[in-house]
Amino acid sequence: MTVDVAGSRWRLPFSPWHLVLIPLSFLLVVPLLWMLITSLETEGEANHFPPVLFPAKPRFANYTEAWAQAPFGHFFLNSLTVTVVVLVSNLVVCSLAGYAFARIRFLGRGTLFVVLMATLMVPFQVTMIPVFLIVKWFGVNVWEGLGIDHIGALMLPNLATAFGIFFLRQFFQTVPVELEEAARVDGTSRLGVLFKIVLPLSLPAMSTLAALTVLTSWNDFLWPLIVITSEDQMTVPLGLSYFQGAHHVQWPLLMAANVMSLLPMLLVFIGAQRYFVQSVASTGIKG
Amino acid sequence: MVIAENTKAPPRPAPVPPRRRWRPWGADGVTGWALVTPAVVLIGIFGLLPVLMSLQLSFQHSDLLTPETPWVGFDNYRKMADDPVFLEAIKHTIIYTALFVPGTMLVGLLVAAAMNRSVRFISVYRTAAYITMAVSTISQGIIFLWLTDRDYGLVNAALNGVGVPSQPFLASPSQAIYVIVAMTIWGWTGFSVIVYLAALQGVPAELHEAAAIDGAKPFTRFRTITVPLLGPANLFLLVWLTINALQLFDEVYATTRGGPLRATTVIVYYLWDQAFVHFDAGYAAAMAYALFVVILLVTAVQFRLARRYAHHP
Amino acid sequence: MIRHRLCLALAAVLTLVLAGCGGGGSSSSGPTEIAVWHGYQDTEGEVFKGLIDQYNKAHPDVKVKELYSSNDLVLQKVLTAVRGGSAPDVAYMFGSWSPNIAQIPQVVDMAPVVKNADWQWDDFYPAERQAATVGDKVVGVPALVDNLAIVYNKKLFADAGIAPPNPNWTWDDFRSAAAKLTDPSKGQYGWLIPADGSEDTVWHYIPMLWEAGGDILSPDNKKAVFNSEAGVKALTVLQQMAVNDKSLYLDTTNENGPKLMNSGKVGMLVTGPWDLSQLPDIDYDVQVMPTFAGSSGGHQTIAGPDNWVVFNNGDKKKQAAIDFVKWLSAPEQVKAFSLGTGDLPIRESVGNDQAVLNELNQKVPGTAAFVQNLNNVKKVRPTVEQYPDISEALGQAIVAVMLGKEQPAAALNTAAQTADAKLAEK
Repeated sequence: MTVDVAGSRWRLPFSPWHLVLIPLSFLLVVPLLWMLITSLETEGEANHFPPVLFPAKPRFANYTEAWAQAPFGHFFLNSLTVTVVVLVSNLVVCSLAGYAFARIRFLGRGTLFVVLMATLMVPFQVTMIPVFLIVKWFGVNVWEGLGIDHIGALMLPNLATAFGIFFLRQFFQTVPVELEEAARVDGTSRLGVLFKIVLPLSLPAMSTLAALTVLTSWNDFLWPLIVITSEDQMTVPLGLSYFQGAHHVQWPLLMAANVMSLLPMLLVFIGAQRYFVQSVASTGIKG
Repeated sequence: MVIAENTKAPPRPAPVPPRRRWRPWGADGVTGWALVTPAVVLIGIFGLLPVLMSLQLSFQHSDLLTPETPWVGFDNYRKMADDPVFLEAIKHTIIYTALFVPGTMLVGLLVAAAMNRSVRFISVYRTAAYITMAVSTISQGIIFLWLTDRDYGLVNAALNGVGVPSQPFLASPSQAIYVIVAMTIWGWTGFSVIVYLAALQGVPAELHEAAAIDGAKPFTRFRTITVPLLGPANLFLLVWLTINALQLFDEVYATTRGGPLRATTVIVYYLWDQAFVHFDAGYAAAMAYALFVVILLVTAVQFRLARRYAHHP
Repeated sequence: MIRHRLCLALAAVLTLVLAGCGGGGSSSSGPTEIAVWHGYQDTEGEVFKGLIDQYNKAHPDVKVKELYSSNDLVLQKVLTAVRGGSAPDVAYMFGSWSPNIAQIPQVVDMAPVVKNADWQWDDFYPAERQAATVGDKVVGVPALVDNLAIVYNKKLFADAGIAPPNPNWTWDDFRSAAAKLTDPSKGQYGWLIPADGSEDTVWHYIPMLWEAGGDILSPDNKKAVFNSEAGVKALTVLQQMAVNDKSLYLDTTNENGPKLMNSGKVGMLVTGPWDLSQLPDIDYDVQVMPTFAGSSGGHQTIAGPDNWVVFNNGDKKKQAAIDFVKWLSAPEQVKAFSLGTGDLPIRESVGNDQAVLNELNQKVPGTAAFVQNLNNVKKVRPTVEQYPDISEALGQAIVAVMLGKEQPAAALNTAAQTADAKLAEK
């Protein structure tokens, strides 16, 4: 392709942007590379400082051994269930609320938004005990599956977050309001405008929120730690803690398990890739 | 309805019927409330209620051991004012936030701008950015501890190569907080990139093409067209990164544990330490509330400034 | 169409929530279930689960369920659970938490129980019993014991031409050996100490304080006395090695000790038996810590016992839990656990058994030395609830001195003032 660089024309077999993007991506990915390398080392090699960068013989057995040390299959299933429920719930609830905050002027909107945002401003270390008590109440008074030591308890506090609402509000605001007003003039309801106009134009934002929600939910550690006390309700991060003892961390197995736990998120993201690109036809010019 | 094609100004809307006076209690107001109700219920129960319960805790003496939690009024808050470690923690938290937030936004924007094009493998680069967010803070901590190690780290090896003596970095009370800044910028770049990418996608290509036809250089186009349209994304990142920076905990826990000599003790780390190592949960809750008020004020200021300098409906 | 998708999504949410419910109602009849929270992984985990299986088979009216919970994080978990009314029946807890755990009403006071002869309470090493006793209460039953000793790299000593540590060494000998082992060009150090200011750092200093003739608190536990001449003397050794000789590597991560040792970069480590299995790549040996010449303290070391803490969840569960813990800590199981895992035996009768020592040494060389070193545990850390505050003050002082930012006497005086203030509070 040809590139216009400072007026003169160069002919390169590839875009010069690769020269920037490759080192950049490499820098970003270094932790992952280190994880991969460690996951293929023996315990002895991992017990070195400075770390051994090139294991003598890649030890793929670490992966099977890590998988066998705990019922990871079950952990993956639990994590998957929780993440899917939390994801769908957030996308639905936060887009409804996000749209309302972005476009509808209702009484008390400003105050309500601030109040919801306030829930992001107190660290979890402080609120975790009250949340525990509330969730326990649900388990006792509403349905056992939602209470302590059930994966329902992992879903309940996360079904909607102010983060999602804030995020979507910002992005919904970038949708040209003229389009919405035109539709309203045509008689479409608010909900209709949301579904027919705003959401289709917000695919990058929705898929970004989806990716971020999946990430947070999958990697959540502290809350499952205090709420789950049976192995069959555990999620993947708790399974990872099996390799972290008080005096001794089994690095190769931990990293192998870590890499395995990243794979689903990777798949989700790769799948969501095509929604990140806004199709040219929907930039706002419509007949 | 046809929207006039134009080379410079954004498309002008076709005439709309005159807007009615705003009636928040009208049908629109009801719809608004209906749409937010599910969120309000969920966040109210699991977000707001715990926050209020913690407020109650801040007025009590609680050691998390005995069930008795006697009311002590403002004692916990007074303790904060006299606590030199808390005051130090405030200072560290401010320094950290002031460096981390602009740093992450800038780096994220530049990287996202570089990635926002349809070269081959672009999805690979984007995936690289995303997957860095999936790496646990523990792993990030280990790597940075190693990279910046005074004797065996790569950074010092590089510095020695150009004649600079080895630096203690995370082992030094004066340098540690800055290394944490660098480490967390690195860790959060992926997030920043993903958000900016989503925003950049919303910049109509036609505007760029039109400006290019008029002879504007790429960087000028970037500055005058793209950046202003990133307003909402900028605000989002500014607010969200600030909220997170002021609540820094994980990365400190994974590396320095608040040291050396408290150099990296930030507010949330200190309050966690008070609650779970020193068994003074009431005090921790009070600190969390003082922090909460600050975060609220800072966020409110950010929103106000955004409204003044942006031109969004 | 999108509305249709929305309905599907909501239906999916509901179905998944319903499907996601696992585990279930417990029946009131059937075996009594007790939950045991522990931090055993790897070999220890296997042996422990084996013991549990054995117990469950022998006692069909009880079902012991174990849950792994990393030791560092179990306190948060336990406190939240207790608060929320969902405490376990037995939990493995660090000994240093004893004075604070003693205040939890749900913790069972084992004093009336362990008085019975069949518990053979006096067979547990004195340090363990002291770490489990807070005032009149006995908050737990010993689960683990360890201590600190020198683990050194034989090859590095030979290469430097120095005689390896022996029981007659003084701290001066230690210091000069460390200096000779230090070679900045190779990134090699004589000694390494965890230097993050936490209890990990402090408990390396404490045996030195004791050996120099000092103490942490006054006998009535009301005043800090570690800023005595003995305290300054002990801290000065650390200062000389860290600041003047630069032979002491300050590990602020608390994790690199065994790694650096295993990589041949550190000559000596003062550590516990848990690190021995992490040193497969070097030829090491174990020796007791040196003494201070002319001090009445003699050879001393510090033990870090941990306890099984029993929680009261109703009479039936409580009794089942007590019975289980009694079985677990009986001499037969202690021997089996120790031989299976390489951990030090928690009972003197087992620790004095030469056959056991030999077998332990075969599995992990050097273990026997640690067991014998238990006889040098003469004092324990004070079981006062302000200990975390005292530890923190001391930790900051020690790190400040090792970093060269403060002088020992001044640093210890500041720490003593802080400690005294905290002790006066309650």
